[in-house]
Amino acid sequence: MKFSDEMLMAYADGELDLVERAEIEAAMAVDPEVALAVERHRRLAARVQEAYQDVLEEPVPANLAALVSTAAAAPVVRLADHRSARAEPVAIPPVRLPYWAAIAASVTIGLLVGLFLLREPAPPWKESGAGLIAKGELDYALTTQLAGGTSVDDVRVGISFRDRTGAYCRAFHLQQDAPLAGLACRAGSEWRLQVIAAAAKQEGELRPAAAMPMAVLHAIDAAIDGEPLDAAAESAARDSGWQAPPKLAE
Amino acid sequence: MSTPTPSDQVRGQLGALLPRLRRFARAITRNVHDADDLVQVALEKALARAAQWRPESRLDSWVFGIMKNAWIDEIRSRRRRDRVHAPEEAGFAIGDSSAEMRDIALSMQAAMARLPEDQRLAVALVLVEGLSYKEASEVLDIPIGTLTSRLARGREALQAMLGDAGGGLG
Repeated sequence: MKFSDEMLMAYADGELDLVERAEIEAAMAVDPEVALAVERHRRLAARVQEAYQDVLEEPVPANLAALVSTAAAAPVVRLADHRSARAEPVAIPPVRLPYWAAIAASVTIGLLVGLFLLREPAPPWKESGAGLIAKGELDYALTTQLAGGTSVDDVRVGISFRDRTGAYCRAFHLQQDAPLAGLACRAGSEWRLQVIAAAAKQEGELRPAAAMPMAVLHAIDAAIDGEPLDAAAESAARDSGWQAPPKLAE
Repeated sequence: MSTPTPSDQVRGQLGALLPRLRRFARAITRNVHDADDLVQVALEKALARAAQWRPESRLDSWVFGIMKNAWIDEIRSRRRRDRVHAPEEAGFAIGDSSAEMRDIALSMQAAMARLPEDQRLAVALVLVEGLSYKEASEVLDIPIGTLTSRLARGREALQAMLGDAGGGLG
């Protein structure tokens, strides 16, 4: 069978449905020219993306930042008050995510990515040297959505917190035929996926404890430093572009 | 706490999206200066029209649409000016001999700058910003088939400009 170049491009971009994908994969297996054409599309896409990646790391010019600044620095102070008001700090055992959990997580991710690619046209993440990075609707929701806010597309964001390095992390839930839940932490201007796991279908507000699969709960427990962010702290964090402020002295 | 106005909500989210808005602007304009000017114009428009944004739709797509329109307007008015005045100098300091050009592997950004506007917008939305074909076609307000063919032609042109000669992987 002969495929148009547009069709192979759409395949490389993850835009085809299951049947079309199966046809192209079958052709790729027997025809090196088809495989090569797909590879060229993928490689060009990666190069275009890479050419503009540095812009995300550049400091934003002050005149632009000023246009969108919300003069709401107060919540950060309130978080500090909240912390110092606690009678005694909860002793957090100095363990990192256990070794087995990391393995379990990567196996889960591998499995689920396979599953996901089979069912969904375009997964809202991409692979990079650093693991899986949120993109599209997931990146958008993690960056802009507040836990109580309107959800767009099929992503609901649950609790947000800071991990022990001070970076912001957010739990999320993807509503789709095979619902997924996961945890992503901010690294620079990207959301790195820490874990993804199959989740139960849910209605209405995200109830973090009830709706999250065990693998995600374990990852949260292992990473969280202190309490989840309250609504004010979450909104201040979003407005700062999720750039971690220096850790508060306790 | 008082209910935030639409403009407050939009302002906070725009702040978080700023790095991506700057990246998109960099991809569709030809230089840093135009890019940040475009972002500024788009932010002002977005804030002024915040009430028109529906919270159940994506703010990034909405602002990309505003940026696209502002950029097309800018291009048109530059063309008008050019017809009256001397031709605009090329945006890039690249030799104009096209024979010479073929031998030099263009940088990706220089190659992008040479695409026609409609193809560059399609490439920027899908390949740089990671929008789906459907989302990108909505931003550009064109049928998905048109988006697909612009994207395909844009990629083909980029491939040709970048030269695929020594095209080993990596």
